[in-house]
Amino acid sequence: MRRPTGANITVLTFAAPGALVALASGVGLLGRGQLAAPDFAMLYLLGISVAAWRFGRASALLASTLSVLAYHFFFVPPFHTFAVTDARNLLTFATMFVVGLATSTLTLRSQRHEQERARLADRTRAAELKADTEQMRSSLLSAVSHDLRTPLGAITGAATTLRELGADLAPEQRADLVDAICKEADRLEHFVVNLLEMTRVDAGALTVKREWVPLEELVGSALTRLEPRLTGRPVKVSLSPELPLLSVDPVLFEQVLFNLLENASVHTPPETEIEITAFVREAVGVLRIRDHGEGISPGLEQRIFEKFFRANLQGVRGAGLGLPICRGIVAAHGGTLEAWSDPAGGAVFSVELPLVGEPPLIPHEAGSEG
Amino acid sequence: MTHGALVLIIEDELQMRRFLRASLVSHGFRLLEAGDAKEGMALATAHQPDVILLDLGLPDADGIDLTRELRGWTKTPIVVISARGQEADKVNALDAGADDYLTKPFGVNELLARIRVALRHANQARGTGSLVLEFGRLRIDLTSREVTLEGEPVRLTPIEYRLLTLLAQNAGKVLTHRQILVEVWGPEHATQNHYLRVYMAQLRRKVERDSARPDFLITEPGIGYRLRAPG
Repeated sequence: MRRPTGANITVLTFAAPGALVALASGVGLLGRGQLAAPDFAMLYLLGISVAAWRFGRASALLASTLSVLAYHFFFVPPFHTFAVTDARNLLTFATMFVVGLATSTLTLRSQRHEQERARLADRTRAAELKADTEQMRSSLLSAVSHDLRTPLGAITGAATTLRELGADLAPEQRADLVDAICKEADRLEHFVVNLLEMTRVDAGALTVKREWVPLEELVGSALTRLEPRLTGRPVKVSLSPELPLLSVDPVLFEQVLFNLLENASVHTPPETEIEITAFVREAVGVLRIRDHGEGISPGLEQRIFEKFFRANLQGVRGAGLGLPICRGIVAAHGGTLEAWSDPAGGAVFSVELPLVGEPPLIPHEAGSEG
Repeated sequence: MTHGALVLIIEDELQMRRFLRASLVSHGFRLLEAGDAKEGMALATAHQPDVILLDLGLPDADGIDLTRELRGWTKTPIVVISARGQEADKVNALDAGADDYLTKPFGVNELLARIRVALRHANQARGTGSLVLEFGRLRIDLTSREVTLEGEPVRLTPIEYRLLTLLAQNAGKVLTHRQILVEVWGPEHATQNHYLRVYMAQLRRKVERDSARPDFLITEPGIGYRLRAPG
């Protein structure tokens, strides 16, 4: 869309009209046997129009002047002089000037319109984008603010009550308040940790430090950390012996497992089983976590991975960050994380990770078992 | 064993010191308090505390440097308490010679448990350590090099045995990948984390009921391993 307008004078402004008039003259001279006088004028008009259209008003006027001179010199008797003998030729000259001027003016005007339209469209797009970002930012901010203020409110309320009324409270009331402070502080910590992790994922600040790790170790570590919240719930682990060492960031990937297991444990009845399976399918490591709860409501399979989305606003009080963090981490490893409801009931979360690179060989121990 | 033990707190945060003071004094510990590294170093030298609680973010020095400096002349257990939660920070502190690491926020029970573990290790290091280590179903006889699980002998390779005894002698304490690799495989293998991971998986299959849900050999993600004594 960058065409020289009236304001931009370049070498082409002068060179192009010269070339076009020379071309018109050349064609005219070559075809002199077959062409009549008006045809020569038309050839020059063509050149002038091209100059006006492509190179602006200065070129158009220059092309008109050169055309008048060339036409006169080559095609108006007496040939090879600039003497004007016929009044009709004056009309031809005037037409050439007017056509050059008119074409260049029209071209200029339409170019300006076009530019204005483009500028307007740019401005609209920028405004829309800004509005989108601002709306997202303000809804994120209100979610963050709500999730920070709620536990803080409970802590402040309980702590000030204890300070003001401590001696007058019944022992069980005091115990209740103290318990509330501990629980809400836990919740606050959980939220802050997730928020920091999400920020790292969002900012692209995740550095994936890959090491060769057996999946079993990551599963074991996640289950150990989650133990206090599993409270004896059955967990069935079946990892295919074909599964090689994985090249993943052990800390981040353990976090994925932890978040997925936590999500399953929070959203399903406490006595129901959680299954962890892993296998290899065509050079892809597949890890599935399956629960036996109510499954995912149809249409929410993607939305549950959105920040601050909560599938159940009443019951569960998660931050709505665990799953988007998981997806961000898996993506940073070049893998995918999807979720669906199993036709037989329960939700399935599936991590697929391309198995890249050759796992290292571990030197066999020299000594025998002793 | 912990009663009357002298604890040196090096922490600049006043509210944090209030919490530590209240919980430790009521559990029978004696306290020394320092607000910066210089004062902490002076108190450590003058009073020879039994355990040091050290905050990493001190106004006048980095806690990791202070850890190294203290380790230059004393074996007093150092428990780092820090708001830095990244694995690399923990590994740095442990490799610098800290005995344990607590990330803020932490509860009083967790704090007391770590202090007790630290004090126990200090006592063992003074030669009161036992030659038979027992952790519930698991029993390790260091003299006969016999490992039994519920009375049944467990056949371990030499590396597996060294790995298990190292963790058992430091029960409750996190050992970094580097520390374990240097001890078991030698300094030239200090960065071969995958050796350790593969042997740990083998060892778990021999001593754990369910190797995917270990009772004893606990992974500290990104840091190392710890043998947990079932309580």
